[in-house]
Order: sequence, then structure tokens, then C-alpha cells
Amino acid sequence: MKLFSGTISTLEKALDYSSLKQKVISQNIANADTPNYKAKDASFKEAFQSALEGSMEANKSDIRHYDFKNGLSSAQGVITKRNASYNHNGNSVDVDKEMAELATNQIYYNAVIERVSGKFSSLQNVLRGGK
Amino acid sequence: MNNVTFMPVNALKPAENQKTHTYTAFDAQQSFSSVLKQSIEKINNAQIQSDVMTEKLAKGENVDLHQVMITSQKASITMQAALEIRNKVIEAYQEAMRMQV
Amino acid sequence: MSMFHSMNNTASALTAQRLRMDVISSNMANADSTRSVNGDGPYRRKSVVLEPKEGQFSSFLNMAMSRRGESSAGNGVKVSRIVEDRETPTKMVYDPTHADANEDGYVEMPNVDPLREMTDLISATRSYEANVTVFNASKGMMMKALEIGK
Repeated sequence: MKLFSGTISTLEKALDYSSLKQKVISQNIANADTPNYKAKDASFKEAFQSALEGSMEANKSDIRHYDFKNGLSSAQGVITKRNASYNHNGNSVDVDKEMAELATNQIYYNAVIERVSGKFSSLQNVLRGGK
Repeated sequence: MNNVTFMPVNALKPAENQKTHTYTAFDAQQSFSSVLKQSIEKINNAQIQSDVMTEKLAKGENVDLHQVMITSQKASITMQAALEIRNKVIEAYQEAMRMQV
Repeated sequence: MSMFHSMNNTASALTAQRLRMDVISSNMANADSTRSVNGDGPYRRKSVVLEPKEGQFSSFLNMAMSRRGESSAGNGVKVSRIVEDRETPTKMVYDPTHADANEDGYVEMPNVDPLREMTDLISATRSYEANVTVFNASKGMMMKALEIGK
């Protein structure tokens, strides 16, 4: 019996992607003046790859064994932004675009958290029998 | 509405050709106990997972906050569901025991 | 990479920008200093060199393990050195009464251009504010995550 539907696991991956994107955006803005720094981005496709294909779970005999790395590690999902223009010191960060992406990401994260929270509280409601 | 096609009646297999497996009481017990065992293991795993995440959080290791919150929430809901199911099963048992033979 | 990693990155950027502002203010303060600390001419304009901070072993391990060998999200920025600007020419001002005037009566003034310093200051302020916004955003997201299930 599966209590937690596929939607919740998709939402979890969305949160992983969003938090990775936050790290990447903060790194870009921190290096907005660094010469020869190329702007980075978080890969949306990689985050949901395992959600789209279905994932395998490691059969562990001991709880300390490592899981298969389905989750989005910071190394997997980070790519360098293409189609970037460079300014005079080789820096390719567009601060205004990064700020806009920051705002978007914040709203995305908050929305996904709301949805996850809503799903959990509706499950709890059912368990309490509607009281 | 799409065209509804009916299967011709004689395409159904006659009953005696099907393999019959009579379920004994022992089988019912086995399957029930294994289901019970699996469920308890799942609950335990959920709690362990939540503990692992919480420890990582407390030690400041490589874990995201939302992962911790979601794992702990999942463990709590699983445990709650198990408790409710246990309550209902015990109620049903008591109800059955109250039956006059 | 812990969840506070992004906040550490932003904190490093705030530190770097503040140091940059300190250097700019030092330039402005010394815009008329005809002598430098080591005595070889007037004060020379200083500037900072920013570079991305190097990661710890765990981030290199992650890089090696990742399929495409792409870089990790990074570790923030640091000021690698403060250099003196020896290329911009110093200004020669005619003032024979000055204590440091040479034989022709010219005084070598520092190569500090107030306009350029002000532009740099505005740019540093803007970067600082942007990083503060990032910090608040990260904090807001984490506070929201704490409310899951409440």
C-alpha cells in the first residue's frame, strides 16, 4: 500500500532542483564582478530525469549502506550557461537577469512547499477521520 | 461514446479449466503475517530514515532542509496511519469477540 | 554541500564587496597624498582583484563523481590580492611652493580619479545590495520549508 503518491516524489525532486538553483544563483550574484567568471545554471532536465524514467532503489542489507544517487547532487545538475555575452573583464553574469530568476525561484519554491504541505495535511486530515 | 464491443460469450474460459488453488487457513495466516511484517518494517524504515536525516541536520552535514522536513513528515504520517489501522483492527477483533455463538 | 552553503557564498560576497568599498574609500581619502608609505613617489591608487573561492575536498570529489565532470555550484568569492595601479599615469600639478615640488616646480599627485572611484563605489554598493537580497531570499525559503506540515 503506497501512502505517498508519485506526485509527492515529483514535488520532492522539484524542491531539490529549486534549492540547487538557489545555490547557483547566489554563486552567480556573488561573482558578478569577478573577471573571467562564467555564469552557471541548474539543469531542469537532469532534476526530473529520474522522475520521468522511474528510479531504482538500492536493496540494502544495512541501513548504513548508500542509496543509489537518484537525488540531485550539486555536481550533477550544474551547467554553464550558454548564449551568454561577456563584458569587458570576461564576466558573463547578467545581474538583472539573475535577480529576476531569484524572485521566480523563490515563488516556485514557496509554491511547491505549499503544495507538499497541503498534501501532507490532507493525509493527516484523513487519518484523523475528519475530526 | 465510443463503439462498445461485446466479447462473445463462448470466448470465456469454462470454470473447470481454471487452475484452482484452495486457500487454507494456514495460507491466510502466512500471507497476513507477512503483510503485517512488511508493514512494520516499512514504518520502522521510515522512522530510521527520518532519524538519519535529523542527525545529519543536527551535525550540520550535507542535507537540505526540505528533505529533512519531508522525511520527518512522511515518517509521522506513516506512523499515524499504522496506529489508526491498529485501532480499527483491534476494534474489529473486539467486535468479533463479542458475537454470541 | 550543506543547506547553509548558499548563505556562506553570499556572506563571502558581502565581505569581498565591503573590502572593495574600504579600498575605494582609502583611495578617496588619499587623493591628495603626495607621499606614499614606502617613500617612492605619491600615493598610487589601489584596486582589488576578485576571484572565485576554491572549494574543499568534498566539492572536488563531487566533481570527479559527476557524469559530465561539470563544476559544482561553487564556493563564493574572495579578494585574492590588492594591487597598486602603476599603469595609470600620475598627475603633474604646477606648484613650486609645495614641499614635494621637483626642480621644475611640478608636484606629482596620486593617480586617483574621483569620478572613477565614485563609479566603482556605486557598482560595489549595487553588488552589496544584490547579495543582501539573495541572502534574504535564501533565508525566506528556508523559513518556509520549516513550515511543512504545520
